Amino acid sequence: MNGPGAGKDRGGKDRGGKDRGGKEFAAQALAARLPPLLVAAERVAATVAGGIHGRRRTGPGETFWQFRRYQAGDPASAIDWRQSARATPLFVRETEWAAAQTVWLWRDGSASMDWRSHPDLPTKRDRAELLTLALASLLLRGGERVALLSGALPPTAGGAALSRLAEVLAGESTASLPAAADLPRHAEVVLVSDFLSPLDEIDAAVRRLASAGATGHLLQVLDPAEETLPYAGRIRFAGVEGEGETLVRRTEDLRDAYAARLAAHRDGLAAITRAAGWSLTSHRTDTPPQAALLSLHVRLAQPRGMGAR
Amino acid sequence: MLALGPLGFAAPWALGALALLPVLWWLLKITPPSPRTLRFPAVRLLLGLESREESTARTPWWVLALRLAAAALVILAVAQPLIHPAQPLPPAAGPLVIAVDDGWAAARDWAARRAYLDELLGRAERAGRPVLVLPTAPPADGGPVAASPMATAAEARARLQALDPKPWPTDLAAATAAVAQLPRERSMQAVWLSDGLDDGHATELARALQSLGGGLEVVTGRTGRVMMPPATDTPPDQLALTVRRLAGSAEPERVAVRGTDGSGRVLGREEAGFAPGQGEARIALRMPAELRNRLARIDIEGEQGAAAVALLDESWRRRPVGLADVGAAAAPLLGPLYYVEKALAPTAELSRGDIGQLLDRDLAVLMLADGPQAPSATGDRLARWIEGGGILVRFAGPALAHAATEGGETDPFLPVRLRAGGRSLGGAMSWTTPQGLAPFPESGPFAGLAVPADVSVNAQVLAEPTVELADRTWARLADGTPLVTGQRRGKGWVVLFHTTANAEWSNLALSGLFPDMLRRLVGLAEGVATPSSGPLAPAELLDGYGHLGQPGGAASALSGDLAAISPGPRHPPGIYGSAGARIAFNLGPRIGSPSEIRPPGGVALTRLGERQGEIDLKPALLAAALVLAIIDLMVALALRGLLPRAAAGAVLLGALAGVPPPAHAGDFALDAALSTRLAYVRTGDATIDRKSRAGLAGLSRVLADRSTASMADPMAIDLDHDPVLFFPLLYWPVTAGQKAPSAAAVDKLNDYMRRGGVIVFDTGADGDAAPHLRDITRDLAVPPLARLGEDHVLTRSFYLLKEAPGRFDAGPIWVEDGAGPANDGVSPVVVGGNDWAGAWAVDDQGRPLFAAVPGGERQRELAYRFGVNLVMYALTGNYKADQVHLPAILERLGR
Repeated sequence: MNGPGAGKDRGGKDRGGKDRGGKEFAAQALAARLPPLLVAAERVAATVAGGIHGRRRTGPGETFWQFRRYQAGDPASAIDWRQSARATPLFVRETEWAAAQTVWLWRDGSASMDWRSHPDLPTKRDRAELLTLALASLLLRGGERVALLSGALPPTAGGAALSRLAEVLAGESTASLPAAADLPRHAEVVLVSDFLSPLDEIDAAVRRLASAGATGHLLQVLDPAEETLPYAGRIRFAGVEGEGETLVRRTEDLRDAYAARLAAHRDGLAAITRAAGWSLTSHRTDTPPQAALLSLHVRLAQPRGMGAR
Repeated sequence: MLALGPLGFAAPWALGALALLPVLWWLLKITPPSPRTLRFPAVRLLLGLESREESTARTPWWVLALRLAAAALVILAVAQPLIHPAQPLPPAAGPLVIAVDDGWAAARDWAARRAYLDELLGRAERAGRPVLVLPTAPPADGGPVAASPMATAAEARARLQALDPKPWPTDLAAATAAVAQLPRERSMQAVWLSDGLDDGHATELARALQSLGGGLEVVTGRTGRVMMPPATDTPPDQLALTVRRLAGSAEPERVAVRGTDGSGRVLGREEAGFAPGQGEARIALRMPAELRNRLARIDIEGEQGAAAVALLDESWRRRPVGLADVGAAAAPLLGPLYYVEKALAPTAELSRGDIGQLLDRDLAVLMLADGPQAPSATGDRLARWIEGGGILVRFAGPALAHAATEGGETDPFLPVRLRAGGRSLGGAMSWTTPQGLAPFPESGPFAGLAVPADVSVNAQVLAEPTVELADRTWARLADGTPLVTGQRRGKGWVVLFHTTANAEWSNLALSGLFPDMLRRLVGLAEGVATPSSGPLAPAELLDGYGHLGQPGGAASALSGDLAAISPGPRHPPGIYGSAGARIAFNLGPRIGSPSEIRPPGGVALTRLGERQGEIDLKPALLAAALVLAIIDLMVALALRGLLPRAAAGAVLLGALAGVPPPAHAGDFALDAALSTRLAYVRTGDATIDRKSRAGLAGLSRVLADRSTASMADPMAIDLDHDPVLFFPLLYWPVTAGQKAPSAAAVDKLNDYMRRGGVIVFDTGADGDAAPHLRDITRDLAVPPLARLGEDHVLTRSFYLLKEAPGRFDAGPIWVEDGAGPANDGVSPVVVGGNDWAGAWAVDDQGRPLFAAVPGGERQRELAYRFGVNLVMYALTGNYKADQVHLPAILERLGR
C-alpha cells in the first residue's frame, strides 16, 4: 500500500513517540487527498463559540455581512471610510457571525482491536486510529473543532489540535463501547470500532448518545480473517477480552455458519443505527483506508438524516 | 549378561520394557496432539457453533516413529549395551584385590594398563564389589608397600587414575608381605597386573594372592626394555650401546635408539632389531666427537619409562687434556706441541702449563713434549695419577735421545727401555732412506686407521729389544722398528711416540693420520668422572615415564659407593651432584637381570591387547534419545503453531549440527586490510603456530622500533579459507605433517605471488622439513631459484648484511634467479631453513623464547636485521637496488 497508509503500517505494541508522529503524519497525508471537510450544520446553537459557519446574523467573523449607519458608541475604528466617502452618513462595516461545529470522535481502544491475522496487516486499532486522525485532520482544516468523546480532549481547533489528538489517542485505551458522555445537544459523533460486542450492548450505547440529541456515524473496522475465517483443522479459539474459548474440531466446516452469523450481526448493527437515525460504514484492514475516509467524508458533509435514509 | 555376537547387555532385564512399545504406540495414537490455540476477537460469533464431524486429530506417523525411537533408545540404554563385553565378575563374592606392578617395566604400555584397570573397575562397579588396590612398587614418599583401604570401585578408580609408574623396580617380596596382612574374613578374588618381571619373589606373591581364596588372574602387558648406558672406553667416533629386553621374548622387535643433547635436539639415531629369543641388541651410534660430547641423554625412541633412558654425565664428555709445554714463546709452526694442540682442539678441552700445575687439575691425558722438563721431577704424583687412570703421552726428541745416551737411572715414565743414541735415517751420513709406516697391528688402539703412503720418519729413538716389546708396540715403521709404544700402568697408560711431535724428525705430525691417532689415545682415557667425595644431592630426577624433573618425594643425596646403591624412592635415577660435577645415576645397569614371570599352576596368564576392550554404548544411546526428544519438542511446538517455522528450522538445524554459525569472512578481511600486518600460515601444529605468531610479533616490534614500518599484530592464515592478498609478507613454516595446499589455495597463492606478494618458506621451523617443501610447493608457480647473492637487494634493503641467520645458521637462502621485470624484481619466494621465527620469537615481556645457536645474541640481532630487510624488501621492492650499484655510481661521479 503506497502513500497514506504506508507510514503507519508498522504496527506493533510499542506506541512510542515516533510511532505517534508517524501516525499523525500518515493521517495528514491521507486527509490531504480530500477537500477540507465542512460539516453541514443544520442547527446552530447560540451557545456555540465562533467559527466559520455563517450564522446569518451579524457578529464576530471575517465575511462581510452588511453596512449600517454609524451610531453613537461605535468605535471610530469600525467606520468603513471608503463606503462613508460615497455618501453623507458614516457607515460601519459589519461581518457575519461565523460559528464552528464540534465533532466528537471515539475509537475503540480495547484489547480486541489490538489484533491482526497476519504480520503484514495493520492491527485494527492502528487502522482505526489512522482513520480517526485523518478525519480529525480534515475537520480541523475545514475550521471545525474536534473533541474526544472519552473526555480526554476538550473541543479544540487549529492545526496544533491534531498533534494533541494523536498524543491522547496513543496513550488512551478504552472499553469496547463508549460510555455516556456529557454532550451538548445536537452534537456530531463518529464512533470507530469493530463492533463485535453483543448487539444489545451496542444498542444501549447508541441509544444513550442518541437520546442526548447527537447524530452519529459508526465505522466498523474488521480484520479480513474475521470476515472469512480462513482457518482449517482442529483449533482452540480463545477470546481476547475474556469472552471464553471454544474448541473447533473442523474449522473449515464452520465457515458458512460463521459468515451467516457475521452477516446477522451486521444487519443488527444496521438496524440499530437506522433506529437512531445514524449511519454505518464497514472497513477491512486489507483495503486502503482512503475508501473508508471518503465514505465518512461524504456522510459528514450530508445534511443530517440523509445518511440513514 | 546377554550376548548377541559382539554386543552384550549388562542389564538385559531392562530389554523387557521393549514389550511396552506397542502399548506406547497405541497410547500415542489415541491421544490426539493438543490443538493449536488461536486468539480470535470474533470468538463470540463462534461460540455455540458445532462442526459435524471429528477432525483428523491424529498424530502424524513420523512423529509417532520419532517418539517410539526415542523410547526404544532409552530402554536400550538402560540395558547397558557393551560391545566386546568382558566376562562379568560374579556379584557379591567378596572384595576384589588388584595388585598392580607400577615399577619401571610397566611404563612402556601404561596407557593400555590403565585402560585395562578402568575396564576392570567398571566390571567391579557393575557387580557392586569393593576393591582393594595394591601397588607393588615402593611409593614415592618412601612409605612401605601396602594395600589401599577397601573402597568402592568408583573411589578406587580415582586412586588408580592417579597411579603413575615409578622409576624403580617393584618389590614383590614386600607386596607378598602386604598381602599376608590383608584381613581374611572373606574370600577375595585377586587380579595381578604384572609387569612381566620376576625378581625372584613372583611365585611367592602369586601364591599369596591365590591363598586369598577367590582365585587369581595374572595379566601382563609389554615389558619395558632397558637402555644400557654406553661404555666409556669406546672409539671416539661411535658409542657402543646395548638395549636389553626380557630374555626369552620370542617375537622379533625393532628398536630405535636416539641420542639427544641437553635441549632435546636429536643428535643421532640408529635402529637395530631383536631376533626371536634374543635378549640383547647392540647398536653402534656413530657420530663425530664434537657431537658426542654434547650428548646428554640416550633413549629408546617411542618408549616411555625410566629404564629406557640412559643419562650421560661428564665421564662421557670431552676429555681434559693437558699439554705440558715448555717453549710457549716458540714460533707457531715450530713449537713442540703445536700440532698436538691443533689436532686435539676440536674434541678435547686443552690446558697448558708445567706438569705440576696440570696435575692440580682434573686431567684425562697429559701430553709431554720432548724437552728439559723431566717427568721424574714430579715423582710420585705423576705415578699416582697414571695409576688412577691417567694417560701420559710422551714424544721423543733430542733431549730424550741424549738422556738415553747418558744412561744413568732409568726414566720410569717410559713404556720401553731406550737404547743409547737415536737413529737417523736418510741423512747425509746414512745409507738408509726415510722410513714409512707399517700397517697398524690389529690389537693396538690404532687398529683400522689407514696408513697414508707419504708419511716418512727421518729420526727416532730406538727401544731395547725385550720380550714384551712386541706387545707394547702400537705402531711401527716399515722396517719393523717401533714408532709408538704403550704400557699399561694400573688403570692408566704410558705412551711414547718415538719421534717428535713437530716436523723436526718426521712429517707424521703434518699428516692427517696424526689427529686420528691422538684422538684414539684420548679415547682410551676414562675421563674424570668422580667428583669430590661426599653426598651428592639430587639435581634432576627421572620420573616413571622417563622425563627429567625436579627432585621431590623422598629423594635424598647419594653417598658412598655408587655401584652399591640400588634405585628406589630414596634414590631415583637421575642426575645428582652440584653444577660443577654431575653424576648420572642410571637405572639400566642396576636392574640386574630379572626373568620372566611364570605363574604357578592353575593360574591363568593373559596378555593385554589380546582382547578388544569393551565399549559402553549407554552414553551414546542416551545422547541420541535426548536429541530425538529435542526434535520431538520442536515438532510438537511447531504443530501447535507456537514456533515460527523458520525459527524452528534454524533451531533444529543448530541442535543437530551443534556448530556455531560460520565466522564472517568479511571480518577477517576488515581486520587484515585496515592496517598493515605480517601473516603466517597456520600449520595445524600448535607449537609451530605459537612460535610463528611470537616470531612475527617480535619482528613487528623490532620494525616499529627501528623503522617507520608500524605493523599491527600478526595474523594466522588458513590457506583454504582466508584470503591472503592483504599481507605484504607471508611466513610459511614448513612442517613434516603439512599437507599440500588445495587447488583453490594454490590458485590463490599463485595469484598472490604474481601480484607482488612475498612468501617466505622456512624449512627449519620443525626440525629439518626440507624434503617436505617439495611436496608442498609442487603445484605453486615458484620461479627458478638461485642462492641469495651478496649483491641481492635483500641484503641492502635496510641493513647491509652478509648473512641471514635465524635460530640456526645453516644452509643458503634461495630467491628467484635473476630479477624479472615484474613486481619491481621482487622475488615472490624466499626459501631458507634457518628457523627465523624461532630467532625473532619473544614472549610478552619481550624476552627471547629460543636460544640462537651457535652465534648467541649476536646471531639473533642479525636475524632481526634480516627480518627487517625482508619486510622492507616486501614493502619497497627494488627501492634500494641502487645501493647495489653504488660503487659504480660513485666512481662515475668522481670521474
